[in-house]
Amino acid sequence: MGHEASIFRTERKLGLAFTLPIFILIFLLMGFPFAYTIYLSLTNKTVGMPATFVGLANYISIFTDPTYWRIVGNTVIYTVICIVVKLVLGMLFALLLNEKFHGRAITRVAMLLPWAIPGMVAANTWKWMYNDQYGIINEILRDLHLISTPIPWLGSMNLALFSVIIVNIWRGVPFFLFSILGALQSIDDQLYDAGKIDGANVFQRFFNITLPSIMPVVAISTLLSTIWTFNDFDNIWLITGGGPLNASSVIATYTYEQAFMYNDMARGMAVAVSVVPVLLILMVLVMKHRSTNE
Amino acid sequence: MKSLKHSYIAKRVMIYVAAIVGIVWSCFPVYWMIKSSLTPNDEMYELHPSLIPSRLTLDHYKQLFTQSEFMTFFWNSLYVAVITTAIAIILSILASYAMTRLRFRGRSFIRKAIFYAYLLPTAVLFIPMYMMISKIGMINDRNSLIIVYQTIVIPYACYMLISYFAAIPKSLEEAAFVDGCTHIGALIKVVLPIAAPGIAVVATFSFTMSWNEYLYAMVLTTSPSQQTVPVGISSFRYSDNMIWGLIMSSSVIASLPAVILYMLAQRFMVTGLAAGGVKQ
Repeated sequence: MGHEASIFRTERKLGLAFTLPIFILIFLLMGFPFAYTIYLSLTNKTVGMPATFVGLANYISIFTDPTYWRIVGNTVIYTVICIVVKLVLGMLFALLLNEKFHGRAITRVAMLLPWAIPGMVAANTWKWMYNDQYGIINEILRDLHLISTPIPWLGSMNLALFSVIIVNIWRGVPFFLFSILGALQSIDDQLYDAGKIDGANVFQRFFNITLPSIMPVVAISTLLSTIWTFNDFDNIWLITGGGPLNASSVIATYTYEQAFMYNDMARGMAVAVSVVPVLLILMVLVMKHRSTNE
Repeated sequence: MKSLKHSYIAKRVMIYVAAIVGIVWSCFPVYWMIKSSLTPNDEMYELHPSLIPSRLTLDHYKQLFTQSEFMTFFWNSLYVAVITTAIAIILSILASYAMTRLRFRGRSFIRKAIFYAYLLPTAVLFIPMYMMISKIGMINDRNSLIIVYQTIVIPYACYMLISYFAAIPKSLEEAAFVDGCTHIGALIKVVLPIAAPGIAVVATFSFTMSWNEYLYAMVLTTSPSQQTVPVGISSFRYSDNMIWGLIMSSSVIASLPAVILYMLAQRFMVTGLAAGGVKQ
């Protein structure tokens, strides 16, 4: 009896000792700054100046600013298009790599590449390819006689957002591809054999066997990628800087601009906090999903 | 029978066409980066760039290593990424072991907190983080990145390691306990060897996450002596004009560590990683 109790005691002590650093980290370096952000968004904090409480003034100011809504719109367009295309392409290429064919190994390595190279490298490379004078993309389109004058991929109000979307998709497809491929490879082959015996065709097999089996992975990958895409900064900042005239600006780049270019910390934080409800909903969905799967 | 063969061939053709499209789509930008890094300047700034270079040069690399601060950025990145990963992995192993094996109060609470921390994007935290780091006087100090990156790397590493550790049967450790092993002994002698491939993958991604990080590095460091590669590369410009030769050659070098690690780890990735195992 005494032995049992002593085991519990050591477990308790050890458990607390092992998790204490993580606990401190999360609360001191994440929880506290997060709470502080919310507080400062209710003040008029600027760089180097003390903060005075101003209530909801920052929020009223951003919510009545058409630019803010334009940026929310950009963020939604960016997120939705990127996610849908990444999911569809990732799924198609996962189905491809799940087939047996010569050169599958090399295709797999090649398709991993966009994900393996650093994001800022991808951004810089695409920026160079988009260059309207010396860029290869315009040159190829010219060679194919699809265009006669160079297209200002990053300088045009109508195209800038589209151009950064392409880069996010290029980099993000492998995440879906490899998540879904993992799920595909864990499907029991007997299910397909049974389906074939029952006379199910390719599409019936896909919708009745494949899709239900990979659905949990598809759902969680989509949710996670939505959170990351929604908060993407590097890609847009490095390629267009949010320009021209905010045409490709999203919440993350706008936050940075307000806080560090215009030195309006409080307004920047109000912008960042304004999308936290959406973020929280996504986070709770991920957590729910996890607990139902466990 | 004939139509069966027909559809078989059609399917093969489709597979190979898709594979080629996939390879070209994925590799072309990488090819273009490497090609540009080896193209002499006069050819690079020609109005009609050609897909295949007529001349190759190592001038950009020479300039990069001898006339730019790239090596400083490189060592800073390596320093930050290695130390960040080492600290994060040790702390995460201990915490994940505790959360999967030890019974103590607050366990499920910390576990939940870790998952939420994993999901919290840096875009929400970078302003208060900047203010905190400046309050403790560590702005423009590469060591501040080691502290800040723990908030990205540890939640990820714990998230992954918890699922690895949970998959290891407890009976293995119980045998060790019977032999008189302590918890720490069981962790070192039983759990770690089994989880080693998983830990290697987690360490790989932790390293690349620190290696690639841009937003915090840009906000927290200001002088080249403290800056890491992602921030440093963006400084290769004369006012608004990017120096593409330097940017492309440094991009090639910056990609090497992460690409090599990914290729080594990819064998484990498809089989070993659950969805969401890796941040984008």
